[in-house]
Amino acid sequence: MSFKQYKEVYSQFLAASISEETSFRANFILLIFLDLFFYASTIFTADFIYDHVSTIGPWGRDQLLFFISFMLVVDSIHMATVSTNFWLLGDNLKNGNLDFTFLKPISSIFIVFFRYIRPTAFLSFFVALGLMIFYGLKLNLPAISWSIIPILIVLASILKMLIEFCISTLMFWTTEGIGINFLRMQFQQLSRWPFFVYSPLPRRILMFIIPVLLIGSAPVSFIYSIQTWNLMAYLVIAIIVFYFLLKFLWKQAAIRYESASS
Amino acid sequence: MTTTLGKWIETIKIGWSTHTAYRLNFFLQIIGPALVFFFVKYNLWSSIYGGDPNTVIGGYDFNSMINYHVWTLIVGLLAQGHMGVNMAMDIRYGRISAYLIYPINFWEYHSASFIAFELLQLMISLLTIGIIYSLGLVALPSFFQFMGAIGFCFVVSCFWFSIQYISGMLAFWLEETWMIRIMFGIISAFLSGAILPLELYPEWLVQSLEYSPFPYMTYYPVKIFMGENVNILKGLLIVVAWTSLTGFIASRLWKKGLKMYTAAGM
Repeated sequence: MSFKQYKEVYSQFLAASISEETSFRANFILLIFLDLFFYASTIFTADFIYDHVSTIGPWGRDQLLFFISFMLVVDSIHMATVSTNFWLLGDNLKNGNLDFTFLKPISSIFIVFFRYIRPTAFLSFFVALGLMIFYGLKLNLPAISWSIIPILIVLASILKMLIEFCISTLMFWTTEGIGINFLRMQFQQLSRWPFFVYSPLPRRILMFIIPVLLIGSAPVSFIYSIQTWNLMAYLVIAIIVFYFLLKFLWKQAAIRYESASS
Repeated sequence: MTTTLGKWIETIKIGWSTHTAYRLNFFLQIIGPALVFFFVKYNLWSSIYGGDPNTVIGGYDFNSMINYHVWTLIVGLLAQGHMGVNMAMDIRYGRISAYLIYPINFWEYHSASFIAFELLQLMISLLTIGIIYSLGLVALPSFFQFMGAIGFCFVVSCFWFSIQYISGMLAFWLEETWMIRIMFGIISAFLSGAILPLELYPEWLVQSLEYSPFPYMTYYPVKIFMGENVNILKGLLIVVAWTSLTGFIASRLWKKGLKMYTAAGM
């Protein structure tokens, strides 16, 4: 299939998701509030700590709050585009719905991870973006930094998605998908603090083996100092490695898949 | 009486088997998040204190801060681990019709499952305390304070269960109820002192929370575990009052919801 055809399929996914999500208005509103509460608790937690200390590692209040809001932007993109699909994969594996997915003349990875979109998270995205711009302005970031931020957000989102796709593929080997989803969420939790808060061994593991710390720490460190370009290089390498790892794991998973419905 | 007790014991056994059927899943879903949460906080506070044992933040030196977060981990396991996802699923998929022919009703079944869960969490918590104590990360309070804290956590877990029950009941009206559970989890983690000790919060916020259930969900039981003097009776009264209120609301919701319930597949 061509890129244009994928684009057409994705627009159909989007239309169906908007129609589905807006038909349950209470859910729609609750989801927005859920995101807002999460953002508020995350920002205020860091803010309250800074009422008592001047720095955490080398970063002051506005630097850490910019990092947190950068991660919230990446989170909201992730929430909007792929997060719902992780929860559905477990169910689909148990009830055999993947039979049809593997038969379709389109990438099964694309259908499995991009089928459901959460439009409410697009609204939350603008809140997170507003926070990031607010803290970025407080830091007086130069124009060059602002110009590369969109690219860095895209790269961070791609790495986050690839790592989580790989983790989710483990559901083919476990009977229950919920545990894997909770494991995935724990890695998200770890990535929400900058790399320097971790002691050397876990830091190395979480930067070079399961590189969740690169998602936020590499781009934001690069924004603050171009001398940390090596972290950005690791991020790009991690994207390439995890892309091929996902292809390999998915192939093995498809071989292992036993249809529950047949 | 014996028959009723027998029914409860058998249902608790079923609940135990259900919780332990998928052990990896149980670990990743219930214990894993608590451990990761502690791991992040340990690293964060180690970084903030920078290895200086004399630094005091909000009245806490490094050891007492870690002590606080170790007990937060235990309180989280004991009091706030249960998830009411099955209740909502039972309602949403029309499975409550089956309770009409069970010798135990919906409320009793889920309460027995909750008791089984709490017994399991108690075992895991005691094991965790044993490991952490042997690593020298935490000092144990007196026996009576320890038992008092465990008892306090059980009362808090009843409040937590009643909240889970209410969110489950909302499945009569809402398509999805998970966001209510998560939302309450986020708010309670933030306001209960599970993320930061309440001494680090602005004074006005701590004062405004005094009669809310939040400080008594984590901060109070942690302080009891730490052997500090807190007004246990006041804390208990407030949690019991909130549990009674939420229990009453849950019961009203059940009655109202049942009237509009249509069993799927019947």
